[in-house]
Amino acid sequence: MKRLFAALLSLCLAAALLTACGAPAADPDGPVTITIWHDKEDEVAAVLQEELDQLAPEIQVKLERKDGLTDSLKMVGNDPNAAPDMYFFAHDKIGVFAEMGILAPITDFVDEETLTGYLPMTIEAATYKGEIYQLPLYFETLLYMYNRLYMSDDEVPATTEELYAYMEQTTQGGHYGFVEQHSTAYYAAGWLHAFGGYILNSEGQPGLDDPNTVRALEYHKKFVSLMPTEGEYATVNTLFREGKAHSTIGGPWLVPTAREAGIDLGIAPMPVVDETGNPIAPYSGVQGIHVLKVAAERKHDAILKVLDVLTGDSVGTAIAAASGCAPARESCYEDPAVAEDEMVMAMYETAQNAVPMPNVPEMDVMWTVSENLLVEVNMQGADPQTSAAAAQQQALSLIEQMQ
Amino acid sequence: MKQRKMTFYSWLCSAPSLLLILLIVVFPILYTAYISVTNMNVYHWFNFSFVGMENYRDALFVFDSGFLAALGRTVVWTALNMALQLVLAFVLASLLNIREFRGRKLYKTILMVPWAIPGYVSILLWKTGMFNSQFGLLNQWMEGLGLQAVRWLANDVSAFLCCTVVNLWLALPFMLMIMDGALQAVDKSFYESAILDGATWLQRAVHITIPEIRGIIGPAVLITLFTTFKQFDVIYLLTQQAGARTGANIHTILTYAYENAFITNNYGYSSAVSMIIFAVLVLFSTAVNRRKKEG
Repeated sequence: MKRLFAALLSLCLAAALLTACGAPAADPDGPVTITIWHDKEDEVAAVLQEELDQLAPEIQVKLERKDGLTDSLKMVGNDPNAAPDMYFFAHDKIGVFAEMGILAPITDFVDEETLTGYLPMTIEAATYKGEIYQLPLYFETLLYMYNRLYMSDDEVPATTEELYAYMEQTTQGGHYGFVEQHSTAYYAAGWLHAFGGYILNSEGQPGLDDPNTVRALEYHKKFVSLMPTEGEYATVNTLFREGKAHSTIGGPWLVPTAREAGIDLGIAPMPVVDETGNPIAPYSGVQGIHVLKVAAERKHDAILKVLDVLTGDSVGTAIAAASGCAPARESCYEDPAVAEDEMVMAMYETAQNAVPMPNVPEMDVMWTVSENLLVEVNMQGADPQTSAAAAQQQALSLIEQMQ
Repeated sequence: MKQRKMTFYSWLCSAPSLLLILLIVVFPILYTAYISVTNMNVYHWFNFSFVGMENYRDALFVFDSGFLAALGRTVVWTALNMALQLVLAFVLASLLNIREFRGRKLYKTILMVPWAIPGYVSILLWKTGMFNSQFGLLNQWMEGLGLQAVRWLANDVSAFLCCTVVNLWLALPFMLMIMDGALQAVDKSFYESAILDGATWLQRAVHITIPEIRGIIGPAVLITLFTTFKQFDVIYLLTQQAGARTGANIHTILTYAYENAFITNNYGYSSAVSMIIFAVLVLFSTAVNRRKKEG
């Protein structure tokens, strides 16, 4: 009896293991459900959910927060049973997913004329090989922020040389005139762009050994020497929040925590590099909705209606009010609440010079290679010219290996 | 007939665990081997095809001088960590087994705590809480002593030592637990006789304890040897995390392969690199096992 029981149990366990591998059955009846994966903060998701709830009961929109969204999409992006219908993410992965063949062009649902109402930078960011794959909702870019307790509005540096003079004067005794994530590619890119240099161009060619990039690296070094060597997120932001750094270049995500910490926060335009006359031009990230190919045909009409709601001004203004993000639709800025928001308007101004993060697949390898170059130059004292040449070679070889 | 029935019954009872091993151990290895002979990458994600040994030919370029340096560093890292873990675990477990030692159960529990905290959290806590040059405890002490602040994770040697300390913190509880169990299994009458003969603590340790526990801790040493050899988290998170590099250049084979292959999103190529590292590990394991048998 005991043996029979053991045998049965083993059989059941083995069968359970195998059935767990099967796919769940789809429900063909009932209202259309549109699943949107995202990785955004709760405030933004709540705004979107509220706007899209007006489509109920015919269309139920389910916003699902997904950690490791891009990796999950790589796994299940073409599986109708496991993939979402749309996802809400930054534009920089468009190239990877378009090449993988899991994205449907947004122009299949939204007409070209509607898209002319968007800031050109956001549409440029959403375009890959001539096709627009994203409906932009808002964008973010880095801002120059300062603590009014130490730096008065009159003292805000207009140029990088003024900034350097301020740093020399105030960096002492545990205080820093200016801090930034100096050896992180996303942050350092702004300096490279101000010199005409670049990490990767829109054709997917690296520009680490471009003479302008090297000039920027050389110039940037003197600023790094007056900052803490640890240039990572935690150190830089903590120094600013604790009032030990007078100014910084940070993302909009720093603003709420800095205000909570009691910092009298000022936001100013990016300093202009004296040598070139161009301001520091950081990367911008455009957040928006992408449609997956697996859903594009099956749920065409429902997706059309969802996107129709999202092309309205109310979504942009509501997101701006909830989280201080800058809307992608030009007409949102006519709204008084948006026009009076200091942070949103600062981001709008910076966006005039901001460079959309490259959305080509090659960028995936460039983050690591350019960061290694920055570490060598800024932390290990390597010669920018030599290191840049080696980094360029490594970038080229890694890009070749992608194929 | 009865024999055959018995065999079938044994296989049936082992089936669930064998199936599980097949699914989570054997299948991924076989699938990686399969992917390694295809051109699966961003440009051929779902329509990949067989490309033969092409990826292996390309993968050999990863095994350049940088890889050899990383391999050497990995061997030193494994040897140093194993030696420190064995010595420290032995000393601590011996102390915890002194019967007159009051509160030893409490200490035993406290020493297990690092094991209960997720590794990722522990590593980042060490990074910012201890080693950070602005806020870290170590530099607060240095300042208190009137010394210059040190960039602990910025140069290769000190970063390597810091990684070793954090790895010890994470790995010691396991070794300590095994060692403690092994020590308790040693027959106490051996010690009584030895004490009567006038043997010192060291003599008892060398002639009784170590030979007695060797068989028990053997598998634990082997497991730790491999986890240390293929350690990625400690070194990557402390010194090389994207956006938070510290300036030290202390690659092990896995972090090196990550930076020179895995970031390319070329799964065929990365799988080939993984298979070669897998082969290195198998060779290493065979060598260690052979030595163990001979020893």
